[in-house]
Amino acid sequence: MDIKERLGKTKYDIDKSYAHITVDDRICEKCPHHFCVMACPAQCYTLQDGKLNFQYEDCVECGTCSIACDQGSVKWNFPKAGKGVIYKYG
Amino acid sequence: MMSDYDAIVVGAGNAGSAAAITMASKGLSVLLIDRSDPPGTKNLSGGVLWGNDLAKILPKWQSEAPLERFIQDKKIGFLTEKSSIIIDFKTKIFEENKVGHTVLRSKFDPWLAKKAKEAGATVIPGITVESLVKKDGKVIGVEESGDVVTSNVVILAEGINPRLAIEAGLRPPLQDWEVSVGVKEIIKLSPQKIEDRFNLSSTSGLASEYIMGNLGELNAGAFFYTNKDSISLGIVAPMERLRENGVIHTYDIIEQFKEHPSIAPLIDGGTVAEYGAHMIPEGGLEMVPQLFGDGYMIVGDSAGFGFSNGLVLQGMNYAFLSGILAGEAAVEAKSRNDFSSSSLSAYKRKLDNSYVLKDLRTFKDIRKVTNNKSMYTTYPKMLESILLEMLWERGQPKKKVREILGSCAADLNVGKLKTATDFYYMYRRM
Repeated sequence: MDIKERLGKTKYDIDKSYAHITVDDRICEKCPHHFCVMACPAQCYTLQDGKLNFQYEDCVECGTCSIACDQGSVKWNFPKAGKGVIYKYG
Repeated sequence: MMSDYDAIVVGAGNAGSAAAITMASKGLSVLLIDRSDPPGTKNLSGGVLWGNDLAKILPKWQSEAPLERFIQDKKIGFLTEKSSIIIDFKTKIFEENKVGHTVLRSKFDPWLAKKAKEAGATVIPGITVESLVKKDGKVIGVEESGDVVTSNVVILAEGINPRLAIEAGLRPPLQDWEVSVGVKEIIKLSPQKIEDRFNLSSTSGLASEYIMGNLGELNAGAFFYTNKDSISLGIVAPMERLRENGVIHTYDIIEQFKEHPSIAPLIDGGTVAEYGAHMIPEGGLEMVPQLFGDGYMIVGDSAGFGFSNGLVLQGMNYAFLSGILAGEAAVEAKSRNDFSSSSLSAYKRKLDNSYVLKDLRTFKDIRKVTNNKSMYTTYPKMLESILLEMLWERGQPKKKVREILGSCAADLNVGKLKTATDFYYMYRRM
């Protein structure tokens, strides 16, 4: 089953006005490994023609990327005021 | 200056709510803040709860808590590409005690937070605390959007992402060796199918844990638990190994587990109802930070309290107990009206005398076992080869076990000395 389809089963209240994770493109450009792409369980990090793309909307707030990124690019915070993932089962 | 509360607890997971219940039931004024609404609905676990410690604060938990199934059948084993080698431990003793249960945290945690409210705590959901407030080196409260709430003590129950503790310099940022990545799915399956398929009653359940010998040197494990009308399944992979062997997406590892020939039939006809992920503290004693200081204590996942030996994975029980002990320390500090570091050091002494720190000390070298790549590569295959030689009639002359072992070791290119030392160290450390 495709990851996007699986993520589609999970409930979110997306905060459209605040990205709780940001990446620094200038750092990502020079990253030797892009380990975030392999590590993130929610496919928030993808490579397109060698360039890193990031989206926070599917994030399940596990924190994996905050450790996976050892280049200092990922700035990681919790979403605000109950926004983000809301597990029905957990 | 009077504080707004005796205690502020950040995080309504098992550790935070247990601390809040312990303190509120002894008359302390307690504020329990959680970033999700309802409280606890951002929390995720594999799903087996051992409730011995919960019984200390909520004696009727077994009848009142939203539990799924009690664990009657516990399986542990190895998966190779084509085989599964399982020990199936089914015992009347589990049925008579009913201490282990599968739970779904989005049902269980709101219930536990409700119990904190009933005990007298003020519970505020949907607020993400932005920072700790310090004065003269002492933690005196929390801040969100410029609003400050003060307390004599702050209990940090933030979970595996301890942002406040890190930002306040109370613990260093987490590193690869301290965590594993857990990826989980809920598969809907009717109670009838679950009970027929796994030979269970309407209340009994199954909890299986596997070493994945089909994923090379990822050192990944997997779990499979039955709920009332769903299956909780997932994988756990150490960050260190993921980085070293980083050619597979974490979201594909769980698919490989689901597609394994011995797992796929178990979820046949089921539908995915939820996908999630959560990190797991696996650094053992070495990752435990300074647990208390002037005006604060750290509990649960934030403190690194978890136990894993490759086949057993526990954290919720450590969360309950550390939360309770921090709560007790706060109650004693209140009676002395002293929330200084030396007064709160009672928390550490209580932990020292409990299984929380005793286990972490006893198994301080366990990572040398769980880090051993042979446990996940060579030995599952060796076991499979031995069983094939012994149990599969192929119209060929039979061999003695000694010869089987010798030829398997030769096939897999492992030395006798390496194997002997591996098993000696496992024996010493497990």
